[in-house]
Amino acid sequence: MRCKKQLFLIFILASLIPVRSSAQAWIVPDDQKGKVAPFKFTPVMVKQGEQLYLKNCQSCHGLPGKNNWVRITPPPGDLSLEKAQNQSDGELFYRITNGRIPMPEFRKILSDEERWWLISFLRSFNPRYIQPKPVSQAVFTGKIIQLSLSCDLPSKKVKVMASEALKDSSKIPASGVEVLLFVKRYFGNLQIGDSKSTDKDGIVLFEFPSDLPGDKEGKVEILARVNDPGDQFKSNAVSMKLAIGVPTDKPSLIATKTWWTSRRSAPMWVIMTYSLSVIIVWGFIVYIVYNVLKIRNLNNKPNNQ
Amino acid sequence: MTLEKLILDLTHHIRINKGFLVWMGFLLVSLMVCLYAYSIQLRIGLGVAGIRDYVSWGMYLANFVFFVASSLIGMLISGVLGLIGMKWITPVTRIAETIAVAFAAVAGLVIVSDMGRPERLAYVFLYGRFQSPILWDVTVVITYFVLSSLLLFLPLIADMAIIHRSKQALPSWLRPVYKLLSLNFTDRPEQNKIISRSIRILLILLIPAALSIHTVTSWLFAVTSRAGWDSTIFGPYFVSGAFVAGSATVIIAMFFFRKNYKLQDYLTDLHFTNMGKVLVLVSLVYLYFNLNEFIVPGYKLKRADAVHLHDLLAGKDALLFWVIQIGGLLLPVLFMLFRRFRKPLPITIIAVAVLIAAWFKRYIIVIPTQEHPFLPIQHVPQNFITYAPTLIEILITLAPFILVLIIITLISKFFPVIPLFETAKEKGIEKIEFE
Ligand code: HEC
Repeated sequence: MRCKKQLFLIFILASLIPVRSSAQAWIVPDDQKGKVAPFKFTPVMVKQGEQLYLKNCQSCHGLPGKNNWVRITPPPGDLSLEKAQNQSDGELFYRITNGRIPMPEFRKILSDEERWWLISFLRSFNPRYIQPKPVSQAVFTGKIIQLSLSCDLPSKKVKVMASEALKDSSKIPASGVEVLLFVKRYFGNLQIGDSKSTDKDGIVLFEFPSDLPGDKEGKVEILARVNDPGDQFKSNAVSMKLAIGVPTDKPSLIATKTWWTSRRSAPMWVIMTYSLSVIIVWGFIVYIVYNVLKIRNLNNKPNNQ
Repeated sequence: MTLEKLILDLTHHIRINKGFLVWMGFLLVSLMVCLYAYSIQLRIGLGVAGIRDYVSWGMYLANFVFFVASSLIGMLISGVLGLIGMKWITPVTRIAETIAVAFAAVAGLVIVSDMGRPERLAYVFLYGRFQSPILWDVTVVITYFVLSSLLLFLPLIADMAIIHRSKQALPSWLRPVYKLLSLNFTDRPEQNKIISRSIRILLILLIPAALSIHTVTSWLFAVTSRAGWDSTIFGPYFVSGAFVAGSATVIIAMFFFRKNYKLQDYLTDLHFTNMGKVLVLVSLVYLYFNLNEFIVPGYKLKRADAVHLHDLLAGKDALLFWVIQIGGLLLPVLFMLFRRFRKPLPITIIAVAVLIAAWFKRYIIVIPTQEHPFLPIQHVPQNFITYAPTLIEILITLAPFILVLIIITLISKFFPVIPLFETAKEKGIEKIEFE
């Protein structure tokens, strides 16, 4: 009934075609707007940014400059155009980091560095862009933390060691550093357990789950980084690939011939049934048309009467 | 009755008169308006329709199901009733075939109106998956259309041969067309043998083709696990519903041809009574499938079904649902049990009610299910959640109806509505000159 009423209304108000209400503004906090990259963008970064873009962003935003973004609400838009390019690097960084549905949050999927590479790539489409002076390492006054990863396979314990690099390039164990451990999955990283702080020797031990699937040899890529929301440290993320998971060799769901695969791996009997039915029925159709056209000539044969 | 009288009766309407021009003009202008609406959709995109992420199959799909459904009647009349030897159907067969051809031809176009990139239609064949009911559906729709067209054409051959030789006044350009279409038919045994054998093959092929066209259309829904579609009886449920819509269409068409083309002596009360009985029969079968379709899930009330059924039977779609079920199915059956309601006028009125209900039935099969997604999307605008068609969408939905009317008008206006040759033989007119 709702529909009928609606039809009626629509006919009356013929000119009123429903227009989608405009989206709420997406506001970037003031203290984030001024944020700038910690390094000067280079052509190599632009290239790396391009790779990341194709993998993570193109599905919605299309190719920059091509205006071929996916038509969804709210519109993702072409990031090479003014709407995005008129924003500061800090604003872009904030949006990519935090996302807003349906724009995904890339905080955990891409590192800070990678998100800046993406911005360098996006900026390469803007000839008027001049990069603000990077807040260089020299200005940085906090601690420099270096992580290292090791693993005791039989007990499935992952050890992360944090050390502080001193000015004279010697190292001392860094205690009280909060460390996060992840496993790389198809899309993004899966956190293992809670974050932990290093002890006085600069060490944390993570219990690795015993049921986490790996590849055929049980290999998974694990990744550790410092949890540092306040930017107190300068630190590196470390990763390594090792056979700590459960070896899994399931054929991919699309490797066999099934209903849900592409046409090329359709089950034989489906192809046969479809093709045979089409051939039989259309065979008859062709046969009938051929015969019916023969009617024209049957008339002319003198021996017919 | 003489052959001259028969030819006169069945072909006197074949002329271009004022009524025809006005009617065609009206149809063409309306079609233009609808096509303009479609051009807007082509330019801007499917967003001009009310379909959104929740309800992505809107009126267009309901319309598609309706058109496929209505076309099935050709198979019921010619195929089933014809093959079991019902004699009374002779004057109705061509009407049924015309309807089948028109609706099947247009059904293919209806589905294009739901495509965002219609120029990629050929991709269905180039890249279609053998596992996909979509590929099966286009295949059977095209096949059924070709079968029905042949079945419309074959009995016309003899009619053309008779008419183009007769003295009957015809538009001058039409006679050569008839001559061409008559394929030099002169009632030779060899010619008759080809025609009757071809017709028999077609009738036999038509039955599985028609069953598959609507079964596959129902599978477009039933192969999903959505509440309201997830049903094993969707095939027969759709097929029986299709016969209801198709029989109603035939009755309405019979009424108009009888009146406008003065065919009272050929489309008699008997034919209306019998079509009424056919409609009662198929309606009862449909009612039976309706009982199964609603009572069985309603008894179990699985969670998603419960939400869906509640909306349908007692919630926001309830009024529409009950009007359709009672006004379009139950009451018509009750009325048509009485002979007096199977007279031409009352039964036509009933058929109109049945047909309107049949369209809205497709609407409540297609749309409400999608308003309850299994994975609700977050932060969606209100117009994603409940579907409301837009004016442009309504106009685009009307276009196929206009097209069907144009096709039926043209076929019925330029060819005899009642099979001439067969009627002559049934009336005992033996001597027909073909030389
Ligand atoms: C799932 C689709 C999707 C993916 C994948 C995606 N985005 Fe977005 N993005 C959006 C949408 C939608 C918006 C608009 C959000 C809004 O306005 O609320 C948006 C907005 C943005 C904005 C702000 C644009 C403006 O004009 O204010 C930036 C910058 C951005 N995305 C960058 C990226 C980058 C870089 C990536 C890849 C790392 C990416 N997006 C991946 C959907 C996506």
